Amino acid sequence: MLKNKLLKIILILIGVGVLTAIGIGFYMFNMPHRDVQATSSDYKLSAEAIVTEYLNNPTVANDKYLDAEGESKILEITGQITSITTDFNNQKVVLLKGENAEAGVICTFTEKTNASVNKLKEGQNISVKGVIRSGASYDEDLEMYENVILEKCSLINKNQ
Amino acid sequence: MKNSILTLITLIVFSFTAFSQTDGKLVSKKTHFKIYSHTAAEDIEANNYKSVGTINTETGEIVFSVPMQSYEFEKSLMQKHYNSKKFLDTKQFPKSKLKGRITNLADVDFKNDGSYNVNIEGDLTIHGETKKVSEKATITVKGANVVLNTKLNLTLADYAIAFKDGKPSTNIAKVIEVTVVAELILCCYPVSGLYK
Repeated sequence: MLKNKLLKIILILIGVGVLTAIGIGFYMFNMPHRDVQATSSDYKLSAEAIVTEYLNNPTVANDKYLDAEGESKILEITGQITSITTDFNNQKVVLLKGENAEAGVICTFTEKTNASVNKLKEGQNISVKGVIRSGASYDEDLEMYENVILEKCSLINKNQ
Repeated sequence: MKNSILTLITLIVFSFTAFSQTDGKLVSKKTHFKIYSHTAAEDIEANNYKSVGTINTETGEIVFSVPMQSYEFEKSLMQKHYNSKKFLDTKQFPKSKLKGRITNLADVDFKNDGSYNVNIEGDLTIHGETKKVSEKATITVKGANVVLNTKLNLTLADYAIAFKDGKPSTNIAKVIEVTVVAELILCCYPVSGLYK
């Protein structure tokens, strides 16, 4: 009698364990992407500052900003708008770059944040939040500077 | 003596710079790279809109730089796996690069509208591994607008991306299809001046 009861408890425990494992597996598999806008910024700096950091020492900068699983640092970048374009995914792309700077920070907005770019103009100073994908560098094969890439961007309202 | 050598070096450097600046150079900042893996278990796709490239219309030199962390997957777990040390190790190798040459440049008339088939040969570096590649592409000229289209098949093992066992070995294809669309514009003033 006591043996049966014990067996029952063990079976229930195993059952719960298996269900939990399946649940965790399912959750992991379908886990949503990190919400960049809802996550707090890791660093706040100017477009010039991060470009300089990368041009001076790309290895140190990569180590500081890039994540091994692609969930790299979330940055808040302030700078002057040099150009506004649209990419093949209909996302707005804003380049923040100093007038005499070698490279800038190129920010790609999202379906949700695209509209906020409409009111922006070249020459304006803005702050943008997004996730860094790669740093600035001079590429001798391209014969040009590559910008710091920021994606999933949104406009930061400085008055808030 | 020292001075004359210096002058000579300056002259040589200057003349090289001057030559490269007169070259017709197409620059691409609007691109779409798609990677696609097909297996019986599942189809996986990721998109990247952040690559930049150049085509030198005088020499046929073609260069593309691809920021690897910009590949966006539907499932976040797949994206994490793709970026991780076991797969592409994108923290260590943030960019991939194609450095090649159009071998039949004479077949392309950049000044006249049309669609031209080209052959590209060169070095492709992914995950720190460089391999010789030879690919076919199409260049479409329409006014000042030039579009490059190509589809390449990459064998992951060539770039030291190998899965011996587990789910990746059955769910990720051994050969990945990469579809490239790049819109290029002729930049009308010295390239180095434009981006500095």
